[in-house]
Amino acid sequence: MSNDDGVRIKGGYLGKILHIDLSAGNSHVEEYDDDFALKYIGGRGFGAKIVMDNLKEGVKPLDPENVIVIAPGVLSGLYLPSSGKTSFVSISPLTGIYADSNMGGMFGVEIRQAGYDALVIRGRAKEFSYIWIDDDVVEIRDASKYKGKKSTETERELKEDLRDEEIKVATIGPAGENLVKFACVNSEWSRNAGRTGMGAIFGSKNIKAIAVRGTKDLPVYDMDKLVELSDNAYSTLHDHPMMKFWQEEGLMSVIDYANTLGIIPTRNFTDAHFEDADKINGEVMTSRHKIGDSACYSCPMACGNICLVKSGKYAGTVTEGPEYESAAMLGSNVGINDFSAVLRGNYLCDELGIDTITSGSMIATIIEGYERGLLTLEDVDGIALSWGDDSSIMQLLEKIANRDGIGDVLAGGPYGLIGKFPQLEPIISHVKGMDQSAYDARVGVTMALSYATSDIGAHHARAWPIAKELEVGADWTLEEKIDLVIYHQTVRPLFDMLGVCRLPWIELGFDENTYADFYTAATGVSVTLDDLLEKSRSLFNLTRAINIRMGVTRADDHPPERTFNDPIKTGPHAGEHMDRELFEHMLDIYYERRGWDKAGRPSKEQLRECGALGPLGL
Amino acid sequence: MDKDRDQKQAPVSQTMALTVVPERCSGCRTCEIVCAIHNNKVNNPKKARIRVLSLYPQPVIKMPIVCKQCKEPKCMESCPTDAIYIENGIVKINNNECMGCHACVISCPFGAIYVHADLNEPIKCELCGGDPQCVKACPKNALIYVPQHTLGQANRLIDTLKYAHLNEMQYFEHGVEKKLSYAQIETGGLRKDKIGQEHADEQ
Repeated sequence: MSNDDGVRIKGGYLGKILHIDLSAGNSHVEEYDDDFALKYIGGRGFGAKIVMDNLKEGVKPLDPENVIVIAPGVLSGLYLPSSGKTSFVSISPLTGIYADSNMGGMFGVEIRQAGYDALVIRGRAKEFSYIWIDDDVVEIRDASKYKGKKSTETERELKEDLRDEEIKVATIGPAGENLVKFACVNSEWSRNAGRTGMGAIFGSKNIKAIAVRGTKDLPVYDMDKLVELSDNAYSTLHDHPMMKFWQEEGLMSVIDYANTLGIIPTRNFTDAHFEDADKINGEVMTSRHKIGDSACYSCPMACGNICLVKSGKYAGTVTEGPEYESAAMLGSNVGINDFSAVLRGNYLCDELGIDTITSGSMIATIIEGYERGLLTLEDVDGIALSWGDDSSIMQLLEKIANRDGIGDVLAGGPYGLIGKFPQLEPIISHVKGMDQSAYDARVGVTMALSYATSDIGAHHARAWPIAKELEVGADWTLEEKIDLVIYHQTVRPLFDMLGVCRLPWIELGFDENTYADFYTAATGVSVTLDDLLEKSRSLFNLTRAINIRMGVTRADDHPPERTFNDPIKTGPHAGEHMDRELFEHMLDIYYERRGWDKAGRPSKEQLRECGALGPLGL
Repeated sequence: MDKDRDQKQAPVSQTMALTVVPERCSGCRTCEIVCAIHNNKVNNPKKARIRVLSLYPQPVIKMPIVCKQCKEPKCMESCPTDAIYIENGIVKINNNECMGCHACVISCPFGAIYVHADLNEPIKCELCGGDPQCVKACPKNALIYVPQHTLGQANRLIDTLKYAHLNEMQYFEHGVEKKLSYAQIETGGLRKDKIGQEHADEQ
């Protein structure tokens, strides 16, 4: 699919990127050429290239000069399973390096229907504003009446004020306004671009929300082919034996799975097995709390669970979720064994606009710090912290969003917390400033390598090889395990580039080759999965290049310290931890297989090929 | 007689109804996409004849809204050019007569007629000629296409079960009057206490 052959795009892409300059208060539409689309595919690929080209010496993430790219993919909105994903790409305030975070729901589809493959937002609005995109009309409007409002409240009022229930809104909560470094962008009640602090970028640009109404047709080159492929895809998924269970429990089923495997974060990752997992698992959710299903655009899996707390002090709380990560980080990782409290925590995070994962991680760290005497009662605002004390944990969530007392320190993320309390460094689990997701890195070897080499920090979405390693890969050679990590890091970003969800592939074994067929039907450009994976590999080099420019070195490619130092206490993997020498050895092999040098730098040829050379080149 | 009967034989669409179970809807909008592709040949849910209205967080509801093919349609009554007519039980719009005033859109009590800027005529469901594509595509069975005479059966059943569960049935055991609630039967109360014993007696 190299464009030397004169390949032309005949569908799928809209060919337009909307640039909004908040400082100047204007916008313009850029029409990009086919080469750009064929090289970067779309979504996260477009975002990374635009962020790369925008890099300037000395620009900090929260400076007006930083850009945020909101890019659904070329398949977003099309008739195929789970095509509702959109990527938010920028330089993260949490980590200071390349970052992206994806959101499900319908927001990205609406952007595409408004006629754009991506939004690029730069500058800073003079007044507190929101952006209103009504197909071709783009306005920057006063948002003073929404200041300080919670996410759902803002979305509801915007819909009422714009007199259209069908518009899509992405908004920040109070946390984003207060520049909490792990603030998220929220849409449709509980779809979040959760990680890496995209909400703080909104806040730094003085914008509260983006409201979109899109009405245009999405171009499809071969509609008959797309319908044929998708009809088959939907019926394959529909007939899958796990489908019914998946619609029932969704990602909450992972609680039992992770606990049985012994990889569930427990009390700030001091353990990987939670004795009360059966009190916060999928069964508790479905039997006592679930009142409805929720799905992203065109998705038959409907992993969203709408839950209600029926009794107790949190009675009346209605929230969508939690997903596994949220339930583990706001449950087992802070010692909470009451699912009502998990729901309350999830609700507060959504409404305040903070990431459930980082919030759970930060709070767990200070609870452990306080219990071990590393922090005094005064340090934690006089709140006697203890594992599972939900009242104080809810209080801390509010404090983080409002940057109140200890909350102001926590709002700085792992680096902010270490800056203020260096004694906590050994117990906070993070990579490059991004706290660890809810899978232990001491079991097996692949998860540690995944976290260490992920381009945004210790996030599970980049690669989740641990299940395969534990299930079938016990006897694999080290090289095979490392290749598994690289394969995940290659195939997973592809879903974000295409603007589709990866869960049909991960959870129901949906054939990833089909996505090449979808791409071909939509665009008229004939590709194979390998063609697309090559673009994805190239993207990984590009984001690596951005990170190297931002100062990342081999020393940053390491799993959290706890992975080496503190063996797991209980469960099937009690006593296990990662060996430092083994890890260095793996890192050497990993770099070599990536084609990078010993310091983890891509070759000149790779840099040229991925588009990282140029005026700002390395 | 035979001739009369033949005339009363209604076409399928006249005896079937497209109905929704909002409690099952996940809000995925697959129905919208397949509708637009099938009827308009475009990938654009904004041109669909069925739409899902999602409200949250309180009340939480995802409501697929689609024409109910009323027998005495308000839309037809309100149309100033008589462009709306009923054919084989399906309420249709004659685009040649329609002047695009949208009176029907406003008068529909369910808001089941839609408007799109690209199209002069309002958009409404015509049951895909008796084979609604949305019903086939719905991953949650929230859309159902059933004979009209069975409409309401689900509610009748639920109401009957509720009634029964609140009541007790009377029976006699060794000449002594006893009571048992239907709910107990369901939880196995009867089976454990009585049926097992009867079996023991038999042996």
